[in-house]
Amino acid sequence: MKYDTVIVGAGPAGSVTARFAAEAGAKVLLIDRRPEIGIPVLCGEGISQRIDKWNMLEGSDWIATKMDGAKIYAPDDTMVTLSKEMAGNETGYVVYRDRFDKELARQAGKAGAEILLKTEAVDLLKKKDKITGIKVNQFGEEFDIEADLVVGCDGVESKVGKWAGINTMVKPIDLETCFQYTLENVDWPEDYCEFYLGKKRAPGGYVWVFPKGNGEFNVGIGVLASLSSPGKPKALLDQFIANHPNLKKGSPIRMLTGAVSVAKPVETVKDNLLLVGDAARHADAITGGGLTTSLEGGKIAGEVIGDAIENQQFDSDFLEVYEKRWKQAFGQKLLRNYLVKEILLDMDDKTLNMLADSLKDYKFEEFSTLSLVKALVLKHPTLLMKLKPLMKLSEKSKGKDE
Amino acid sequence: MGKLRAFVDVHDCLSCGGCVSICPVDAIIMNNKVAVVLPEKCISCEQCVNTCPVGAISMEEK
Repeated sequence: MKYDTVIVGAGPAGSVTARFAAEAGAKVLLIDRRPEIGIPVLCGEGISQRIDKWNMLEGSDWIATKMDGAKIYAPDDTMVTLSKEMAGNETGYVVYRDRFDKELARQAGKAGAEILLKTEAVDLLKKKDKITGIKVNQFGEEFDIEADLVVGCDGVESKVGKWAGINTMVKPIDLETCFQYTLENVDWPEDYCEFYLGKKRAPGGYVWVFPKGNGEFNVGIGVLASLSSPGKPKALLDQFIANHPNLKKGSPIRMLTGAVSVAKPVETVKDNLLLVGDAARHADAITGGGLTTSLEGGKIAGEVIGDAIENQQFDSDFLEVYEKRWKQAFGQKLLRNYLVKEILLDMDDKTLNMLADSLKDYKFEEFSTLSLVKALVLKHPTLLMKLKPLMKLSEKSKGKDE
Repeated sequence: MGKLRAFVDVHDCLSCGGCVSICPVDAIIMNNKVAVVLPEKCISCEQCVNTCPVGAISMEEK
């Protein structure tokens, strides 16, 4: 079996890469170790409405609900609101990630990509140090898949990157350990997404409450691994729900765990190899969100793969344009939000309460972390010293930033 | 007395892979939807123990 490119992992990053590579004329194989794409869901399922512009998903059965806005609660419950009226009506969706992922995979298949399920990559194929494909295991049988280009879309615990010699190690200070329930029968008309901060509630992370409509809610927690202890995320979330007047009456229908990278991006290009999505640490270090960057990065990767195949050039000098383009698209944002994360982690609850208090009547221009950071700097020029490197970054990335 | 090594309780593991991500020496693999510690590789740093969101990993004598 010989392909132009083999893509490991059929999450959003993998499927979008596969689609755009196939549309550009590449012979594409997309593999996933799971028997069903999108299952298990490992996600809070919130995404920015910016995806509308990209037209990557058809239909609407993957949308649970459109967010009306967000409420951010400081440790003392001071509330900062970002409503759709304030943010020019563009907010976000809560999605069904299983359907979302399946729709993206369907699009990849429609574009001509072949898909193999229950097929796990076990190693890179190499000839004299040159990557020539991957070795896989399917139903206990091992075989080789040759390809000019291997793309690692295999998530936070990416093995493809590791095998290629990329340092993909995540430190406990750069990983959120997460736990989430999906609750039904919650009699509560809330249609804002909520975020709860505080060292006692969620050390180094936050609790999220995402309404999905008809009494269904995703309620989850992320705790920074360096501040966690065995079973802490579950214990803290159980406590949060038990103390919540509405959520405590809900019926859990799903429990899930996950690890979310809040790290800086890693090296994403080697000879004959690319990393996309969580494998590349393309996730927002403030929110832990990685869906939009996976879609954006996947599109860029797919287009670059198309060019590489047309020119029959697969060395890192040629593929470097992928790294250049994602840095242009969202690299500044990832770096800035990583720096903001470090500043936020240093703040005590009292400071967070003070910041929230100063923003409680603020009119945000858009529904984004950038909008929040800008407001903070405007309200607190004294913080400018610390945030100076960030503002330089955001000026450079004006216009194309989230 | 053997050294203490990380050990995953297969009944409690929800297979999120957090421990696989955090292990600095690649001593944890996902096998059949369950995290498995390779005791010969484990350096007893306990990072996986603290990372597990449901407390499914403990240190045991091997």
